[in-house]
Amino acid sequence: MTAARNRIFLSGLWLIVTLELRQRVRGVSWYVLLGVFMLLVGVVTFLLWLATSAWLSGGGGVFSTIIFFVLLLGTLVSPALSGNAVNGDRDAGTLATTQVTLISTGQLVLGKFLAAWITALAFLAAALPFLIFAVVLGEVSLATIAVSVLVLAAELGVIAAVGVGLSGILTRPLFSIVLTYLVVAALSLGTLIAFALLGTATQQQATNVNYYVVSSTFDEKTGTQSDIVCSTAQTTTRNVPRFDYFWFFLAANPYVVVADAAPGSFNDAGYPTDLFGQIAVGVRSAQAPPELFTESNGCERAAQGSYRDTTFSDSEAYSGQAYDPGPTAQEIYDGAVPSWFIGLTMHLLLAAGALVWAWRRTRTPATHLPTGSRIA
Amino acid sequence: MSSGITVTGVSRSFGAVSALLDATLTVPAGSVTALIGPNGSGKTTLLLILATLLTPDAGTIRINGHDPVTEPERVRALLGWMPDTLGSWPSLSARAALQTTGRMYRLTREQAAVRADELIALTDLGDFADRPSRVLSRGQKQRLSLARALVHSPGVLLLDEPASGLDPAARAALRHLLRRLAGEGTAILVSSHVLAELDEMADAAVYLADGRTASPEQVAAAGASARAWRIRSLDEAALERALATPGVVGALVQVRGVDQLGTLVQVENEASAAALLHNLVLSGVPVCDFGPAVGNLEHTFHDLTRAALPTGSEARE
Repeated sequence: MTAARNRIFLSGLWLIVTLELRQRVRGVSWYVLLGVFMLLVGVVTFLLWLATSAWLSGGGGVFSTIIFFVLLLGTLVSPALSGNAVNGDRDAGTLATTQVTLISTGQLVLGKFLAAWITALAFLAAALPFLIFAVVLGEVSLATIAVSVLVLAAELGVIAAVGVGLSGILTRPLFSIVLTYLVVAALSLGTLIAFALLGTATQQQATNVNYYVVSSTFDEKTGTQSDIVCSTAQTTTRNVPRFDYFWFFLAANPYVVVADAAPGSFNDAGYPTDLFGQIAVGVRSAQAPPELFTESNGCERAAQGSYRDTTFSDSEAYSGQAYDPGPTAQEIYDGAVPSWFIGLTMHLLLAAGALVWAWRRTRTPATHLPTGSRIA
Repeated sequence: MSSGITVTGVSRSFGAVSALLDATLTVPAGSVTALIGPNGSGKTTLLLILATLLTPDAGTIRINGHDPVTEPERVRALLGWMPDTLGSWPSLSARAALQTTGRMYRLTREQAAVRADELIALTDLGDFADRPSRVLSRGQKQRLSLARALVHSPGVLLLDEPASGLDPAARAALRHLLRRLAGEGTAILVSSHVLAELDEMADAAVYLADGRTASPEQVAAAGASARAWRIRSLDEAALERALATPGVVGALVQVRGVDQLGTLVQVENEASAAALLHNLVLSGVPVCDFGPAVGNLEHTFHDLTRAALPTGSEARE
């Protein structure tokens, strides 16, 4: 019984998907668009190949950039193709004639979403030859390929769901398309702006206490100092931004989600080998709070004999104490919390919420109509 | 289980606007019922409610015994709806659109293809069946819309302005088709502004004004009220003379004038019309045309709408 019901549901769903694809993705213009896209990706691939000396360093940089390029193009095209899926049909008078058939509202909304998603995935498919080229260049791990392609596909699905959802929620097609673009912009750019502005606006005072040697007697034979007269505490303050409070804004960025999800790939010097790694390191380093109290005690170091005048050429001791190169990119990456699943979960909830809301608004028999809209 | 459509006390408002106040009607199986009312009287709202697209605020509806609010799927399986807006998938051909609609009613691919071919023949779309529907004319789209409403051979048919945009031949074909479907047991509710046409095919009429259906008593009173009859004679002068003779024209008859189609007289009821004809023939007037100037539906419609106005029926002419 349930199996039969499922089969009926799925066949109706697939009917809507194919109907949508025949309606929206039609004819020459669509293939021209895909052709232009392939040409662009081809040019980008070639330039990246030159720019990153990919024949020496491997295809990581090329691969990751193509993935981002597909995400960029997908988010630019998808709202226009999905943002009028439901209300455009209402305007054309084909929504009600579908709703009086045995197609349920769930099948209708879900079918339109799947069709919009498949349309966006066509861009990924068109970029496939270039992705394979990047993989052939080497140094791209299987895990990176699998995870980045899957997460990219999921993100394209999120945009498609938001577009279809808004088209079911709002009455006017133009308005829902524009709003879908605004959602894409808010996620892609708004998160960066919010992160930068909020971080810099939330300044906190960082204090540095410094003690230095006012005078001392230096014994050249032993290389130690005695009779050290120490300065009083010299306190300096400065304002530091608190980016660590707002790093989760970056987690909501689709590009960050893709970058952070891909397993980190680093060279021997601990430096990321692809664009994913660079972005992920940047985002994860924002998680670390700044040090609000630092103390540098020159007297103590002098007393321990480790501090020497720079005229002495014992540079080992000098560099070991006074200069700290800090953690490598890989150490930052490994020491921080991965954020991609938070971002991806937020996106999936957004997508599901948009679709559920659209379903509620499109359900028939309708209990209420938005003002000025005719159901037919 | 009753068959056909039964509507009792249905109302529906959109915010502050009441589209339907009290609609009560029945459409028995095997009959054509006309839904008549001025623009904005709630006809389309009523049809949308019957088509399971809108919920009523109050009242009960049964379509072949099923409630469209609580059992929309059962109602949809047996109901065909032709909307007043001509929506069709622009890039699909008429044939593909009919096949797709058939599949939406869970016909198999083969059944849907067979049914689409039958309907193309039935609605005379053969020459245009394989062109994308965006190039169809209004009348052709109208026929496609009718064909789509018939895809699943529904037992109840709702038609919103089915004749608009059709040429006379297609109108006649529509009339025959609806009579045949009614003869096969389909309950049909047709809304139209072309009242003369409904006269020819409707078994009964429902009058809707300001969201209320007229009661049977109101309809009977309106139908029986005085109305204009048109008389045409081969000898107009003889007719004029006879009508001027007091004995020929009874007390219940009043001459109202002459138009390009003949002489109009106001006749109180059918009995006095019969007496008038009798007298005219006896007076030797060669009468070649004698009948009501407007159809039954139109007469009742005008009378009911006029009665709804505050000036009342005295205001006519």
